[in-house]
Amino acid sequence: MNKKDLKNIRVSILEMVRKANEGHIPSAFSVVELLYVIYSKMEKNDSFFLSKGHASAALYAVLAHFNYLDKKYLETFCQYDSKLGGHPHRNPPHIMNSSGSLGHGFPMACGYALGKKILKESGRVFCLIGDGESNEGTIWETALYVKHLELNNLVCIVDNNNSQGRAVISDNLKGKFSSFGWEVYEIDGHNISEIEKTLFIDHSLKKPLCVVANTKKGKGIKIMEEDYFTWHHKSPSDEEFNLFLKELS
Amino acid sequence: MRNQFAKTLIELGNDKKLVVLIGDISHFLLRDFQNLYPDRFYNLGIAEQSMMSLASGLAIHEFYPVIHSIAPFIIERAFEQIKDDICYQGLGVNIVSVGSAFDYASLGCTHHCYDDIAILRTLPNMQIIYPAAPHEFDILFRQTYNNKYPTYFRLPQKNHNLKTIPKFGEAELLLEGGDITVIAVGPQIQNAYDAALELSSKGVHCDIFYVSTIKPILKESREMIRKSILKTGKLLTIEEHSIRGGIGDEISLLCGNIRFFHKRLGINDKFLVNYGSYDEHCLENKLTKDGIIASIYEIL
Repeated sequence: MNKKDLKNIRVSILEMVRKANEGHIPSAFSVVELLYVIYSKMEKNDSFFLSKGHASAALYAVLAHFNYLDKKYLETFCQYDSKLGGHPHRNPPHIMNSSGSLGHGFPMACGYALGKKILKESGRVFCLIGDGESNEGTIWETALYVKHLELNNLVCIVDNNNSQGRAVISDNLKGKFSSFGWEVYEIDGHNISEIEKTLFIDHSLKKPLCVVANTKKGKGIKIMEEDYFTWHHKSPSDEEFNLFLKELS
Repeated sequence: MRNQFAKTLIELGNDKKLVVLIGDISHFLLRDFQNLYPDRFYNLGIAEQSMMSLASGLAIHEFYPVIHSIAPFIIERAFEQIKDDICYQGLGVNIVSVGSAFDYASLGCTHHCYDDIAILRTLPNMQIIYPAAPHEFDILFRQTYNNKYPTYFRLPQKNHNLKTIPKFGEAELLLEGGDITVIAVGPQIQNAYDAALELSSKGVHCDIFYVSTIKPILKESREMIRKSILKTGKLLTIEEHSIRGGIGDEISLLCGNIRFFHKRLGINDKFLVNYGSYDEHCLENKLTKDGIIASIYEIL
């Protein structure tokens, strides 16, 4: 891992949102380390589903970083005829599912993991959801399903960035997933070695795995970390963009 | 119809891509499929929205999922999942409902569903099939279940007894008259047919069309219907569905540039707040042979 990689991914996100004047920077910044580790460690038969689709800019930037996507497409983010919308549209093998409306990607990933189980395929299915998304009933219906179907090939990662602090807080996610029969770990979602260890080493593979990754919305930009409600769906001005670039450096 | 559903699934069960998901209904009916193919049969309980998304995940893995539950729960409740996860992603999930219209008459409005065709018609990629006799389900399911398009099968409780020859996307001209065009869907085709026979003896001759695929209606059938309406200038559509958004609207969409008088027989803009039986609801909504005859005389 190179710290410069993470910086470059965040810079790509900033550039995409600034050019498009559209996008969710804080939600993308909170998942950069998670996506970076998943895509650097995923094996051939593994798959990834992004359920919190508003972190799309991070997905595109990470895919481009690992050369799964031509970098030139990043400049088209959110344009009328772009392949890279504000929320991703299914384009396998690297964009497995369309998302945007919350609470859909997780049950979809569950169906895909069930398909792998029916076919006795190796590999795991990683799915990234949000703590705000966990307000949705389908998250908990799926948590029931995964246990019921004994899908130990499914990994749920919760980007626990406190996005619903002003509304309905999804607290004690570790306890909640545990009570649904999952093997649960709670980690620092910006700590690369903790993410690697939890997702790829420290699991029993006997139960479905849930990793509650505590993160910060807007991680790396102080003003966003402190005022993420304002910045949730806001593009930076030229002046702010330059300040943010400096801060990331 | 339900028995045929179970029979057809068993007969297609060797297809290793066929996976059956049920919302805690018909488990007894489908027990043979479950016993034969336990790794491709799942009772996913009472969680229709997640079941729909899960089916789309199976379809992403190139399975042909069949998802089965009661119409209001699997269509109205899971509509957004059908829109986003099945149709927008262009995935071949088969949705098979029972309990549409007022089939569960005595259970009240929460268990009625007479807008399923209307809301699904709005979704690009969606195929809507309404078989009303066991052989129709068998033929139409075999023709479509693996064509990788989202497909809705609306299975009514009541059958008709006519010898139809269904083909996906095609309407059938069952009787040729020339005085008025009558288009019926579902079990009401029986009443329409019987009404036409009775009227025929009184000198009124109807073109009777039966439509078992509501979307898409393919070109040849569209032309056949248009020609009839051009000739008669009068159209009666009959459906156990809201008159807003059902077959009446589909036909008027196809024939919008023709001048014709159109009467829609179906459920008006109201909840059917009574209980009782299917037949009582049919009577109240004029979905009977006599109701159809009266409607035809109204516009002749």
